[in-house]
Amino acid sequence: MIYLDHASATPVSDKVLRAMTPFMTDDFFNPSSAYLPAVRVRDAYENAKNSIANSIGAKGNDLVITSGATEANALAMTVVSKNGKILVLETEHASILENVKKYKFDIIKVDKNGLINLDDLKSKLSDEVELVSVSLANNELGTIQPLAEISRILKESRLDRLKRGITTQLLLHSDSSQGLALLELNIARLGVDLMTLNSAKICGPKGVGALYVGHDVRLTPLTSGGGQERGLRAGTENVAGVIGFATAIEAIRGHSSAARKKYTALVSILKKELEKAKIAPIFLGNAKHQLANFLPVSFPGLDAERLVFKLEEQEVYVSTGAACSASKGEPSHVLRAIGLTDTEIAGSLRLSLGVLNDEENVQQAGKIIRKVVDDEVRRIYG
Amino acid sequence: MAKTGVEQSAARVNNNKGKHPTVFLGMSGGVDSSVSAILLKEQGYNVVGVYMKNWSKDLPGMKCPWAEDLADAKRVATKLDMDFMVFDFEKEYKQKVVDYMLAEFKAGRTPNPDIMCNEEIKFKLFFEEATKRGADYIATGHYAKSEDGKLKLALDQNKDQTYFLYRISKDAVKKTLFPLAELKKPEVKELAKKHGLANAYKKESMGVCFVGDVGMKDFLREYIDITPGEIRELETEAVLGYHDGAIFYTIGQRHGLYVGGGLPYYVVKKDLEKNIVYVSKNLNAKDLWTKAITLDNIFIRDGSDFPKDGKIMVRLRHRAPLVPAIFEKNHVLFDEEIKTIAAGQSVVFYSGDTCLGGGIVKG
Repeated sequence: MIYLDHASATPVSDKVLRAMTPFMTDDFFNPSSAYLPAVRVRDAYENAKNSIANSIGAKGNDLVITSGATEANALAMTVVSKNGKILVLETEHASILENVKKYKFDIIKVDKNGLINLDDLKSKLSDEVELVSVSLANNELGTIQPLAEISRILKESRLDRLKRGITTQLLLHSDSSQGLALLELNIARLGVDLMTLNSAKICGPKGVGALYVGHDVRLTPLTSGGGQERGLRAGTENVAGVIGFATAIEAIRGHSSAARKKYTALVSILKKELEKAKIAPIFLGNAKHQLANFLPVSFPGLDAERLVFKLEEQEVYVSTGAACSASKGEPSHVLRAIGLTDTEIAGSLRLSLGVLNDEENVQQAGKIIRKVVDDEVRRIYG
Repeated sequence: MAKTGVEQSAARVNNNKGKHPTVFLGMSGGVDSSVSAILLKEQGYNVVGVYMKNWSKDLPGMKCPWAEDLADAKRVATKLDMDFMVFDFEKEYKQKVVDYMLAEFKAGRTPNPDIMCNEEIKFKLFFEEATKRGADYIATGHYAKSEDGKLKLALDQNKDQTYFLYRISKDAVKKTLFPLAELKKPEVKELAKKHGLANAYKKESMGVCFVGDVGMKDFLREYIDITPGEIRELETEAVLGYHDGAIFYTIGQRHGLYVGGGLPYYVVKKDLEKNIVYVSKNLNAKDLWTKAITLDNIFIRDGSDFPKDGKIMVRLRHRAPLVPAIFEKNHVLFDEEIKTIAAGQSVVFYSGDTCLGGGIVKG
């Protein structure tokens, strides 16, 4: 198997699995119970949360553990008041675009590389806007957004509001599901007030995520009950999941620069191979502003879904556009937003590298993809 | 037809393949149509796979699995190096099949949407569209046989699906290939396995696609105003309980009555006007049995195939055994009493292995 779909899912590492196991067996106790073994579980849980938080320059108490990025994104939006408005990027993941429909919202445009159009953001920052949500990196293109710059713009806007005697909040939320392993994240430096973290994309277990919640940020819980997570997310803690998440995040800490270097080299091997195909590939986005492990590519005139099935026969696994939109049978809204034609969208694959890749298998995958592309070209054009 | 990314490949079909007859095969993603594709390819046809996108309602908790079925169909077509298209019949399916079904239920009858789907969609719209795009034949994975323009029983009597096909047009039958006509289901499964088709072990689809997993009752509730009413015992008029909508009950039905204890009750009669469902413990209740059924909307495939004496065999539901009967005007007469079938259901006629047509039970 050659797996080129790390933006969809990643394998839980042995280390993570080993760290989690005891909390499902021997140390199964409910961290809210009073007796000592349970208290120890509580301690382990809090330590794990601290560890996750530390990796982005925050404290354990700033985190609300969730069932994943989708829930964290939905929870972040509860910060807006009844009349408040949310601005989101047009290329956001469905978990943002669908949840935001429950509020007043507006869409910020992107340029042809998928980068936020800052002028559009500024023009839409009316006084009723309370939250701006821009993901750290796009899940189809890997485009990295200039969060620090967005944060500066929001700060200016806040100052301007204060000058005019308006005290409505204006906060920045960012979903960092993609890019957590490749970028050094620091809450203060980025200037975000809310940040979604996702365990599943960094070799941690699925079904665990977290929302970083800055001080003075007031959320409304989505579920009520036993008061866990400072009353912001009731329900018995997913101890094993959080331990796994923490172990996974510790494993990537300090390695992002090396990882970037590794994936830049692997992506260029892959690119070289694909360029030899009978149909000229279009590499999407701008590598300068892209996660190093992403290679979105279009073979215009081909049907990417057929390529996925052909590659699957040879045990090479890739995605078309985003897995989510593909399963709904709708063309990707992200690729549409960056101005691709229907033909280009239909021929688009998303290759995303990760822990399961090395020089050898990437080289081999490149050859197999090229062959499959050539076969399809032959089938269609004779 | 809306042009989506999925349909992009549709534009490129039939290039340099003129030597072989072209067959458009309806593919559902299931094992039967997948194996049909293999067989047609082996027989040397230029096979184009087509997924028919029919109407589906997409509500939370109520999802027709069409996207997965489409992916399954496309995967098989791709593996077999076939061209593949999507025909979007959502609008027509809603009008011709779903609306018909809802109207029938509202009128207190029990329609068979699969029969309507074959008549109006698969062997009409699909046939027409395929022909327009250059098909010499169409094909489906039904267990049935097309021979000399006649619709005939499949070899696998247990799987034979002519009950659902009796109303399809004669023109379509002439141009239809049923690759599974001479195969038994286990052989089909074996072939699928041999060719490494991922869906060889997939559960067979049951019931109407667009209703998905939720079942007909939940589906109908979305569209039809339901008034609760009494359940009475036929013989005594005693109120035994209450129902949540008379349309949900079918004559002869035994399950789903909210009356417990003792022998099971059977639905024997519905009074839609008074909104009363009548039940009986008596399996011999006269409303449950009959020697004659009156039909509506009779469709005769070819009158010359009819035995002069009117003696035919009939099938009263899919996979039910054939029973002897006499067809006279719009009545089907039986020697012995048979269990009644609900109004709206179909009675299908046969002579030997030829399907003669059929009709819909009046009521």
